[in-house]
Amino acid sequence: MRLCQAATGLAFMGLAALAMFDSRAGALVDRSGGEPGGIGPGFYPFWSAALMFVAAGVVTYESQARGHNEGGIVFESRDAALAVIKLAVPMIAMTVALVWLGFYIVSGAFMGLFARWIGRYNWLWVVVLAVAMPLAIYLTFETGFRVTLPKSVFYEKGLLPI
Amino acid sequence: MAFLNVLGDLGGGFATAVQPFNILMLLVGVLLGLIVGVLPGLGGTSAVAILLPVTVVIARTSPTSAVILLAGVYWGALFGGVITSILFNIPGEPWSVVLLFDGFPLAKQRGKPGVALASSFFASFVGAFFATVLFTFFARAIAEWALSFGPPELFAVFVMSFATLVGLGAESPAKAVAMIGLGLLLAAIGFDTITGQPRLTFGQIGLLSGVGFVPVTIGLFGIGEILASAEESGIGFMERLKAQVGFRDIVETLGELRKRIWMVISTGVIGFFFGVLPGHGATAGSFLGYGLARSYFSKDKSNFGKGEISGIMAPQAAADSAAVGSLVPMISLGVPGSPTSAVIMAGLFIWGLTPGPLLFTEQHDFVWGLIASIYLGHLATFLICLSAVPLLASIMRVPYAILTPFIVLISIIGSYSLNNSMLDVFITILFGLVGYWLRKMKYPLAPLVVAIVLGDSTERTFRQSLIASGGDPRIFVGTALSAVLLGLAIVLLLVPAFRTLRVRGKPVDALKEARTSEAAVAID
Repeated sequence: MRLCQAATGLAFMGLAALAMFDSRAGALVDRSGGEPGGIGPGFYPFWSAALMFVAAGVVTYESQARGHNEGGIVFESRDAALAVIKLAVPMIAMTVALVWLGFYIVSGAFMGLFARWIGRYNWLWVVVLAVAMPLAIYLTFETGFRVTLPKSVFYEKGLLPI
Repeated sequence: MAFLNVLGDLGGGFATAVQPFNILMLLVGVLLGLIVGVLPGLGGTSAVAILLPVTVVIARTSPTSAVILLAGVYWGALFGGVITSILFNIPGEPWSVVLLFDGFPLAKQRGKPGVALASSFFASFVGAFFATVLFTFFARAIAEWALSFGPPELFAVFVMSFATLVGLGAESPAKAVAMIGLGLLLAAIGFDTITGQPRLTFGQIGLLSGVGFVPVTIGLFGIGEILASAEESGIGFMERLKAQVGFRDIVETLGELRKRIWMVISTGVIGFFFGVLPGHGATAGSFLGYGLARSYFSKDKSNFGKGEISGIMAPQAAADSAAVGSLVPMISLGVPGSPTSAVIMAGLFIWGLTPGPLLFTEQHDFVWGLIASIYLGHLATFLICLSAVPLLASIMRVPYAILTPFIVLISIIGSYSLNNSMLDVFITILFGLVGYWLRKMKYPLAPLVVAIVLGDSTERTFRQSLIASGGDPRIFVGTALSAVLLGLAIVLLLVPAFRTLRVRGKPVDALKEARTSEAAVAID
């Protein structure tokens, strides 16, 4: 946990340093009268990032120097870590696939995958869920709320209606 | 005279709130809130965020109906989280964690699940009622006072909001400051509103319009919570008790409530004022209520942790009141009091309204319709809860393999549909993973959310003040009000240092207790 705390603190510091570098041009008060109120567009992000950098530095220091061991271990068990991975990996894959396969194909596949892999439903239920979910979403959002959701490359080529 | 004016306005608000479509929105909101409150994988904040795109359609005809829907979700979730804590020993919401201490023991060990549930429902209702009365009379007064604020005073209010999150809120002040810094940076991405120059975009055209608050919030709360829930269900267990509130339970509860009525009213009133402070929503209120019940309102402390009814009623009254209180600064000052009210406030911006003191005069029907709906929303939630506990408890039986992908898909639709942008979907997933990790590392999410919402306003008032003074920073202490507020902010920022010094002298048990209540604020 101490290592994770330090890594998280360092990640914050890295982000803050990046933002400070990007807005370094406006970091100081402009006395020449070129900027309204003496403050340019970079002033606020630079000092917000500086605040974040210092605070994250304190967090990193505390996690190491004082021997903080908040919460003990990162995951309670191997099963707990696996449960998160089993959700996170398909979720990320689904998000990437959305660009090409569109929302309806991906949502059906995602529901079906979970029903079969995690729920261990028989194939009939898997197919029912994989079809029912996109259909319900289509009727609710596209028909009801007039929200157009992303379609697949097959739709763009006229091969599929979704 | 002012009293009669408020009553007149409230009457007008009720006339708006009881219109059939608004009643429908209220009931839909309350039911959705109850459902998400019962489900451990989805919270009130994420449900409100996911619903924002839908409210855009509703707000075209009536922003009042839209805000009634969102507020209804908030009230429903406040009650719904209770059911799973008491019956299954699983908190449906962060603010119902405290009910594990006495709610579940009363239900299981003492065999009174009906009394435990009824106690929480009655206390919530009574606490929320008194809080709403205070809301009715205080909000306008604060708004009228705030009308005299200029940019330096408003900047001081925002700084004090951030200082409150650091000084009174977080377990680790440094983590809270880091999250505020991150939130301010995220809010600064895109075109500078004064000069029009791009900032922090790193050459990415997609970032020119900035990072949306809604995708970030859906990610942090929706996806982040579902990942945390996946982890817990992987290691968790579930106790199941009989889910019903009978007539005898209600009679017994009313007797217990009569004995504790002053405690419930007092914790409700204190919870309200606590909720008014930025960043202190229902979760912190619930722990405050529990602490008050144990420290000040109970002679016999030995029953706490074994099913003490005061340990259910006080936190519930305080939690609901704090939630009501958290809307006061949002409506009257444009400063959200909790993450959920921050999301509702983002909704107001999306619908073209500006939260703050002018709302009372420019959107009179909207504000009073919302206030009236708080009374009606709590009444509806209370009645539904008393009569439909078995039905609500059965929601917990929806299989994980169906519920989890469903919530993920709904979250994605919510983030995509606001701007029809795939970038928003990627941001949601990214912040879902980041939010999950930050929870594990015990970083408080409330400062991040509040900073994203207030980031633009804080910068704008800061720069407007300097432009007005020709770059002279003394303008920030130029009026008594801004000087006092900034002074208070400094005091609040020093609170963690004083607290550390004070706690060092205490025995280990007291230290643990202090950390528990601080952790609650971190969750909130």
